[in-house]
Amino acid sequence: MKRKALYIFLLFALLLSACGGGGQAAVVRIGWAGSPDTLNPGMAILTEAYTVFELVYDSMYDLNLDGSFTLSLAESVDVSDDGLVYTYKIRDGIKWHDGEDLTAEDIAYTYNLYKDTPEYPYLNGYYTPYFDSIVANGNEVVLTLTEAIPNIESQLVFLYVLPKHIWENENKLEFENTAMIGSGPFKMAEYVQNEFVRLTANKEYFSTPPKIDEVVFQTFENQDALVQAIKTGQLDMVTEMPNTAAETLKAEDNVEVVVGAPLAPGVTDIIFNQVDPENCPTDAGGLCTGHPALRDRNVRLAMAHATDKQKLIDLILLGLGNPGLTLIPDGLGVWYNDSIQDYEFDVAKANQILDDAGYADANGDGVRELPDGSRPLTFRLNWPSDSINAPRMAELLSEMWAEIGITLELQAVDPDALTAQCCPAFDFDIMIWGWASDPDPSALLYVYTTEAIPSGSSETGYSNPAYDELYAKQQTTLDFEARKDMVWDMQKIVHDDVVYIIPFYDANVQAYRTDRFTGWITDQAKVELSDVTSLLVIEPVK
Amino acid sequence: MNRTRAFLKKTAWALFTIIFVIILNFFLFRVLPGDPARAGIRDPRLKKEAIEMLRVRFGLDKPVINCFESLNPIQVGSCAVNPFDTQFFIYVRNLVQGELGISYHTNRPVTDILAERLWNTVLLIGAGQILSIIFGVALGIFAAWKARTSIDYLAVGSSLVAWSLPTFWLGIILLFWGSAHGFPLAGKATPGMSSMPLLQQWGDIARHMFLPTLTYTIVYMGEYTLIMRSSLMDVLSEDYILTAKAKGLNAFQILKDHALKNAMLPLVTVIAINLGFTVAGAIQIEAVFSWPGLGSAIYEAVVRRDFPVLQGAFLLIAVAVILANLIADLTYNFLDPRVQTE
Repeated sequence: MKRKALYIFLLFALLLSACGGGGQAAVVRIGWAGSPDTLNPGMAILTEAYTVFELVYDSMYDLNLDGSFTLSLAESVDVSDDGLVYTYKIRDGIKWHDGEDLTAEDIAYTYNLYKDTPEYPYLNGYYTPYFDSIVANGNEVVLTLTEAIPNIESQLVFLYVLPKHIWENENKLEFENTAMIGSGPFKMAEYVQNEFVRLTANKEYFSTPPKIDEVVFQTFENQDALVQAIKTGQLDMVTEMPNTAAETLKAEDNVEVVVGAPLAPGVTDIIFNQVDPENCPTDAGGLCTGHPALRDRNVRLAMAHATDKQKLIDLILLGLGNPGLTLIPDGLGVWYNDSIQDYEFDVAKANQILDDAGYADANGDGVRELPDGSRPLTFRLNWPSDSINAPRMAELLSEMWAEIGITLELQAVDPDALTAQCCPAFDFDIMIWGWASDPDPSALLYVYTTEAIPSGSSETGYSNPAYDELYAKQQTTLDFEARKDMVWDMQKIVHDDVVYIIPFYDANVQAYRTDRFTGWITDQAKVELSDVTSLLVIEPVK
Repeated sequence: MNRTRAFLKKTAWALFTIIFVIILNFFLFRVLPGDPARAGIRDPRLKKEAIEMLRVRFGLDKPVINCFESLNPIQVGSCAVNPFDTQFFIYVRNLVQGELGISYHTNRPVTDILAERLWNTVLLIGAGQILSIIFGVALGIFAAWKARTSIDYLAVGSSLVAWSLPTFWLGIILLFWGSAHGFPLAGKATPGMSSMPLLQQWGDIARHMFLPTLTYTIVYMGEYTLIMRSSLMDVLSEDYILTAKAKGLNAFQILKDHALKNAMLPLVTVIAINLGFTVAGAIQIEAVFSWPGLGSAIYEAVVRRDFPVLQGAFLLIAVAVILANLIADLTYNFLDPRVQTE
């Protein structure tokens, strides 16, 4: 009899747990395929970590989905006439999650921390190359730069402000920061690496507090399970899914699929090793074994004309992506030069270009040779072995370029080994790889410069003094329109020179359940439902 | 006397194997291509200095071992460097002190990561092992006793099918079936459960464990059934079983007192070896059900080139397998006196 009672009790407990902790709190359950690598902002690399930082921390600026910035911690900013001194007036009454006041002192401490910790792979050297000094003065933060720059917002937007009273007592490198005291709209409630991140709403947030009570990010190592979870209602939103799942999910009631540029817009690039032997960075380990034909613009131009980008998008991304022009993706909004006319897909024209340039197939084996006949146009094509899309693309490119008498030797290479082969070794012919972009175009424009060849950032070895000059100039041009024109001109130059072929810009494919929460922001150029922009405004469906 | 010597000898061999694994573990990852300090980081604004700092932090700036700066690409270095200042010695010294280093990827001590993951794996695979042994052995005995009846054929047939099922496929099928019946699709616990009473937490973990454990049990039960059945049938065909039957003993007595003891031997070996691999986890099951165990930790570490985690995990698995084998060896001595005299 007693035993029976215990069974009933156990059954009851199971049932209770099945219901999942009552129905009152508005908990948004988000599924993603990853997990933050670390919650220490200085040491973090993965996007998932930055998603959490965006929700728990504040920074000087907020990045809006249209690419613009608004002041966040500061209520006003005063810039000196020479553009070197920024004085930020910090808002009153902002509190850390542990109840302490957030002051200008905290901000100055944080910026100096990032500046003085060269071990931080990203945030040092990454966002702070122009910092001269940062001083707190009452409720003001005075930031002095070494030179006037046009993009201070994008330099500061990822510099999350940390509480001095906690960080000053910790080892800056080893601090795991699992309690994560921040000042943002969400508080860290519970974190189990590779399982979940649970955040609760900060109802005292100085700007608009969230309308929901809790956000949970749950790690799904299996993407089929992720898709199944939103179908069955175990999740309210998924941050990613295989493109193949988009069609099936669209057919579901109560599930809405959204597609758009990611917050950090991504580029897939086909890289031509065109480094001039004179520019070969031998001191930095340059081998420069690239095929000489790839240094000829005509060859690259012919390959561009022979590349059917729409077919690549349809077959590889199942249509979910836009054809690309240069490394500057369309997701960057105003910075993206949409006036550039891309090379049309025209195999006959491509063949004509190669014929005219003297690349004939003298021995009749179907492969063209160099004009002097010394070497066939046979190129090595490599890609990182962890890429899902690259193998398909390699096959398709192989077919497309065979039409113009070019053959490829396809080989996937371990990503580490490929990095070693790439830059600054230039020990390859063609590679498929990609970039993710900052809100500001400067970082990716740098990749095309001559200066980047020995530093390992230039993948192509492209060198054009006119371009270099423009790059340096836009770095110090404070007038927005003037700088924008330069950035547009630079894109035109590298597109004309066919430095890369950019098959497509990647799209974010996300989905949310319509029967749980409403108000997701989906009408902007960028789509990122797990961003603070959506999570602050969504509310439970009544 | 003899028994002690055999014991010492076997233990010595096990120790020797572990030392070998420790050395192999170090060099195995050093001959892989690429620079772990750059893995996962590819960015135009990442300064050379930052990469160098990472290398210093992880001790990758030191020579691998005397005479070699690095193993891939092979760079010969000075043989006169202080051997205590090489990566190899630092690795061994840390191991002796019980330190497995700091994960390159997560920046956490490897011991913390492995402890967390090991517990999860033991929980999942341990439950699966126990269930599959219980059901597998029971079904095996039943099938052997009813040999060559339709019950036997059914048991053998289904065991063969179960054993040869691809684990991930069965996992996905069960996952889809389970999700329609309210079972969770991923993880070990529902987020937010930690504030609930202990009993509810356990209930929640049990719900999360149900599908992966079921998958594991179905696949491994087949193996145990087949081994138990054939081993028992061998024994049942012996003359002394016939004698026992002639004495008028009932089925239960024959099995318990005469047959099972002898039939258990092959099974003990298999169980011991499988228990050793329990630590390694079932990578496929953990991946399908997003179970945060050791198997999935190893998978992630391979992707991220997280050498300290890989070294630690491999060492843990090697020690577990070697220990399990040693224990199997030693139990054999007691179960089967014939083994001893050899």
